[in-house]
Amino acid sequence: MKMKRAKCKTQNKFCVLRFALLLPPTLRERRRYLAFELISEREIDKRELLKEIRDSIYSLYGDTGASESKMWLIEYSKNEDADGGTDRCRGVGILRCAHNKVEEVRAALACIHSASGVRLGIRVIGISGTIKGASRLTATVKNEKWKVQKSKML
Amino acid sequence: MPTFKFFDLNVHAYPETEVPVEELIRVARRYGYAGIAITSYDEVVKGKEGVQLPPSVANFAFRGIEIRAKSVSELKRRIRLYYGKVPLIVVRGGSKELNEAALKNPMVDVFAPPYGEHEKVGLTHVLVRYAAENDVAIEFNLNAIIHSRRSDRARILGKMREILKFVRKYKAMPVITSNARSIYDLRAPREMVALASLFGMQKEEAVHALSDIPEGILEKKWKKRREVEII
Repeated sequence: MKMKRAKCKTQNKFCVLRFALLLPPTLRERRRYLAFELISEREIDKRELLKEIRDSIYSLYGDTGASESKMWLIEYSKNEDADGGTDRCRGVGILRCAHNKVEEVRAALACIHSASGVRLGIRVIGISGTIKGASRLTATVKNEKWKVQKSKML
Repeated sequence: MPTFKFFDLNVHAYPETEVPVEELIRVARRYGYAGIAITSYDEVVKGKEGVQLPPSVANFAFRGIEIRAKSVSELKRRIRLYYGKVPLIVVRGGSKELNEAALKNPMVDVFAPPYGEHEKVGLTHVLVRYAAENDVAIEFNLNAIIHSRRSDRARILGKMREILKFVRKYKAMPVITSNARSIYDLRAPREMVALASLFGMQKEEAVHALSDIPEGILEKKWKKRREVEII
């Protein structure tokens, strides 16, 4: 019992501390999460992709524009089971940006044509206000692919 | 929100690149296009009617010819050769005389200024006016933006901005195309709209240039009237 109580207390304390450290809602930044899909010739690392996205934003909008867009790659996962059977790879990911810079980031993503010599094309599946919503979008694409794969195998 | 039918009027497939038509069509369908036009170079097809498309994709993929002539007489001869055989005739611009000949010709559907190359794009306000009179659409090639960097891109964007100004003034028809040579060059319609905003195109304008205008060109909506008049 004692143990449990002690645990609760510490947890409570931790929660209070966390809330004190968090920004108040009025000061929080408004963000958008872009769910995107990528097709490429070969597999691409998360690091390579991030470098290429950053390069593209810097070359299109410069340092000030890049700082305003607040771009961050949340997650990127490769999909090994590419459909069609050719040497093509697919991946899906989520990118965070400021809520008023969505079109700019979209243009920067569209300007990427290759990463370390591998040709690629990026398509934005959808935009969401939460990571949960964006991951739901990527999940639909993953399931879709799986269906295609299954029907082809049959 | 109304749903639009998006078209990409300048895509290059198998004879001049290594990508088969089916691959391009599959990716374009996935990206949400209602149709693409496979434009082959006339030097490659040599008087034939371009790529043979399977009948299953007849209302998705359209045949087209991209003419790259060196002289005015050659251009005229080639346009006459393909006119009526192919649904879409695209002329790649070059010198000022060549551009003038192409834009004064109502048989031409789309005029593609040479953005990517280093030579001067000889497209003045007078020529854009001819384009508006003869219903020749003017292409904005987004592949040139995607595949260039720094000073090259700045030059291309500047040129596009200038041409857009003329197009707005004389109410010529702008068309946004990807000029894709592989499936990795294709971009989804929303991305194309975002790219078009880089050279100052409004969202509504860009959507119009991707949906209604290409559809009208393929149907020869504006040309028909002219043909009746001539007959």
